[in-house]
Amino acid sequence: MRRPWRSRLAAAAAAVVAVGGLAACGSAESGPPTLTWYINPDDGGQAKIAASCTAASGGKYTIATSTLPREASEQRQQLVRRLAANDSSIDIMSLDPPYIPEYAQAGFLAPVPPDVASRVTQGTVQSAIDGATWNGKLVTVPFWANTQLLWYKKSAAAAAGLDMTKPVTWEQLIQAAGKANTNIAAQGRRAESLTVWFNALLASAGGAVIAKNSTDPTQIQLGLQTPAGDRAAQVMSEFANSGREGPAFSTAGEDESVAAFQAGTAGWMVNWPFVWSKAKSGVKGGTLSQSVVDDYGWAIYPRVDADKDAAPPYGGINLGVGAFSKHPDLAYAATECITSTANQKDYFLTNGNPASRASVFSDPEVLKDFPMAPTIEQSLQLAAPRPQTPYYSEVSGSIQREYHPPANVSPATGASTTELIQAVLSGRQLL
Amino acid sequence: MSTKERNWWIVAGVLIIVYALFPIAWIVSLSFKAPADIANGQFLPTVFTWQNYSQILTGDAASLFLPALRNSFGICLIATFLACILAMFAAYAIARLNFRGKKLILSTALAVAIFPVISIVTPLFNLWRLIGLYDTWLGLIIPYLSLTLPLSIWTMSAFFREIPWEMEQAAQVDGATSWQAFRKVIVPLAAPGVFTTAILAFFLAWNDFVYGISLTSTNAARPVPAALGLFSGASQFEDPTGATAGAAVVVTIPVIILVLIFQRRIVSGLTNGAVKG
Amino acid sequence: MTTTVPPAPPTTRAPAHAAPSGASDRAKAEQRLGWYLAGPAFAVMLLVTAYPIGQAVYQSLFAYRLTDPENRRFVGLNNYAVVLTDAIWWQSIATTVLITVVTVAVELVLGFLLAMVMATALRAIRPVVRAAILLPYAIITVVSAFAWQFAFDLNSGFVNSWFSWIPGISATTDWFGSFGSSITVICLAEIWKTTPFISLLLLAGLAQVPEVLQEAAKVDGATWWQRMWRVTIPNMKAAIMVALLFRTLDAFRVFDSIFVMTAGANGTESVSFLAYRQTIARLEVGLGSAVSVLLFLAVVLIAFGFIRGFKVDLSQARGEK
Repeated sequence: MRRPWRSRLAAAAAAVVAVGGLAACGSAESGPPTLTWYINPDDGGQAKIAASCTAASGGKYTIATSTLPREASEQRQQLVRRLAANDSSIDIMSLDPPYIPEYAQAGFLAPVPPDVASRVTQGTVQSAIDGATWNGKLVTVPFWANTQLLWYKKSAAAAAGLDMTKPVTWEQLIQAAGKANTNIAAQGRRAESLTVWFNALLASAGGAVIAKNSTDPTQIQLGLQTPAGDRAAQVMSEFANSGREGPAFSTAGEDESVAAFQAGTAGWMVNWPFVWSKAKSGVKGGTLSQSVVDDYGWAIYPRVDADKDAAPPYGGINLGVGAFSKHPDLAYAATECITSTANQKDYFLTNGNPASRASVFSDPEVLKDFPMAPTIEQSLQLAAPRPQTPYYSEVSGSIQREYHPPANVSPATGASTTELIQAVLSGRQLL
Repeated sequence: MSTKERNWWIVAGVLIIVYALFPIAWIVSLSFKAPADIANGQFLPTVFTWQNYSQILTGDAASLFLPALRNSFGICLIATFLACILAMFAAYAIARLNFRGKKLILSTALAVAIFPVISIVTPLFNLWRLIGLYDTWLGLIIPYLSLTLPLSIWTMSAFFREIPWEMEQAAQVDGATSWQAFRKVIVPLAAPGVFTTAILAFFLAWNDFVYGISLTSTNAARPVPAALGLFSGASQFEDPTGATAGAAVVVTIPVIILVLIFQRRIVSGLTNGAVKG
Repeated sequence: MTTTVPPAPPTTRAPAHAAPSGASDRAKAEQRLGWYLAGPAFAVMLLVTAYPIGQAVYQSLFAYRLTDPENRRFVGLNNYAVVLTDAIWWQSIATTVLITVVTVAVELVLGFLLAMVMATALRAIRPVVRAAILLPYAIITVVSAFAWQFAFDLNSGFVNSWFSWIPGISATTDWFGSFGSSITVICLAEIWKTTPFISLLLLAGLAQVPEVLQEAAKVDGATWWQRMWRVTIPNMKAAIMVALLFRTLDAFRVFDSIFVMTAGANGTESVSFLAYRQTIARLEVGLGSAVSVLLFLAVVLIAFGFIRGFKVDLSQARGEK
């Protein structure tokens, strides 16, 4: 009969509403306060740290994790919208460093207590501290610090006769790749990775995206129309037109670069250290042979000019405490636990994300699993952060728009990008 | 029909089935590929593995996927249920009564149906956060109603117009009370229409993406289409193709079941009764 | 269950027409009851659309960035001037129009073919064909977008390896690396997904072409082709126009596929996506609201154009037929 069907459906729906209602308001129990930690996706490491810090707190707090989207820009979107709504459920956030000035300037971050600040900056690499600072004050707690290395196949370097123990320049690499008849894997996709690459090139040439900073967006002066800017554009264009960049260069992200490197089509690659963990798990899973991994070599990021140090990209995660959190003091205590040297070392070993505390890099266990640890540390000391401004997404978006595809970049690109950024920041143009 | 004609029809049928099922077969096949196998460039996996499903149902991604699945089912069922009730009353009024404003209601339904959702998500986001509906089931159910009501009203009005309402009076003449007449005569005649409308409304609600990504931010209310974009590989740089494919398949199964079982009703509903199957 | 023989063909008009000024009690009661019953649905529909679009109009008059609420200032119609003179806006309009025209044109033809098959197919295969045609309609758009994206992806896809014998496609073709190929994939996905809906609307129209006319044409010696163009299609005009209207409006609002497949890269941004990016990604509420309002106006314009200009007969949809 039809009616029993419908009343069953209605009952089911009612039950679902009840369950939903309960689930939504269920957690009004007593007990230690729950701190919600919004994490970027990783291999489960942050969740593990949350559990261990909950246990270590001795009942003072419980850390629950909630995962954000993959892309840093989408993570920022979600968090900013909720913080703009004064969301009090955001206690701890895993923040991508370039966006931190925006949070800080908008008043979304609870101030760092001075004692916490001094403890968490002790022994931390300088680039991580710089990435956690805004307007001269530490506004977030450094967690892990990322940098790009120049990975290479020893066989390819040998075939090209390139001595990788000495610093190499991009032009040398292009020539070597030609001799060894192989490609260089870099990320040319129209995404944040493009800004990462361009910023590294510009900083390596001795310049900076923002020449004179200001909190008034219309007063920001850019450094793209400088000799360094021209040089960076030149290297970019040379690389993209060299024939050594690979077929899908203009849409390649970090994952595509690794795929090319592992498959052997690329003999050199600039990429973050996650490639090492990925290689090791590939061997464990049987999809990558050990001989390929044995051929891996690593060096500092390529230079732009032979006489100037490279400025490798800097990334990573810093922890921010939400300004509207109900327990900022507990949250900061939790961040200190999360970023303890032991946890940083553990996170490095299990998730392949390098620590921000320098002492971790000389730990024998770390050296065993990550023989490139000293290179990473050296790279972190040299690393230059991306432009620090609350309008980072506009700056990065404009760079991505003008400098993509990299094959079309010319010295004029610096001028057009400067114009675009200034127009966008003063509301005269859409981005 | 001659054998030659019959053969052509069979060929046409096969072609249509291939056309319709090909992308579905592809995503199913992709969901059985191990992460390292994804780039094998072939349609089928070299080795069939349940890895992706175990990852999203019991593994790392389960804490993202299972709540999303629960949210989707709960929110869509409730929204469908409410939409059917509201549409039922409205359709009854439109089909049986003659009142000024009938045209207005139907025109409003049309206007709401063609509304660009993206235009209203930010104001809705602002409103919801002010009154505390952001990231809640109710905060999604209400917009879903606006998605599903227009089609529900149209479809149900069309069905209700076909009902011989005089039978109710005939039954009363035969001695039934007003309520009995309604229950035993009208309801069985109206039920197929309501049911079909429910299915169509469910499809619409199940399909939503924009509201899902804009009005939610945690597992509390995020539905599956919004969660599909959030899967991640082993690190922030790796593509979660397998897990996404697995989740896509799981979320397609209810839809396939509904289509297979109720295809005649759905066709009838979408063609406003012109085609009974 | 009591069985009653259904009486003569049901009338669809309700009893007792009221006097034009609605003076009679009966009419007034009907009026009240009508609004009483239909009111809630009406109210819900209005609440979720009228208030937000009103707020969007209001906010579009301000320069307002979500993270900088203190510096919100009234700029009048300046945001509209910025949007309407910006190349990105016109690029998105062009892309949207391109997608709309291409997909609707292909879908009309393909949908018509499918409708013909459904209408005249063998009894035996009809359920199978029907189910097959409905599946793309029922699948979530995002799922379809992922499926098509993965298929054409350089790493995970099979299209390059299957179709490398076609000149222009090789093992390294990057479908999402340029405008033309990206738009092609987007259009393919949209066409695959929404043709069933159009085919059903056309099927309804087909079913309503009087058999009598077809017979008469056959008797007069018309070929299949002539019957198609002289009898079937002219009599389906109403259904075709309704299908065209709905599909055009839907296609103009394309969002999900673009979001998933290209995120607007390479100039594939549609107007909806542009609105999304300005308001949600860039947090520029004022500018984004201006784009949203313009999108809304564009949709209304198209609907109006169809209804008035092409005299699309919506009486069926409005419930009068």
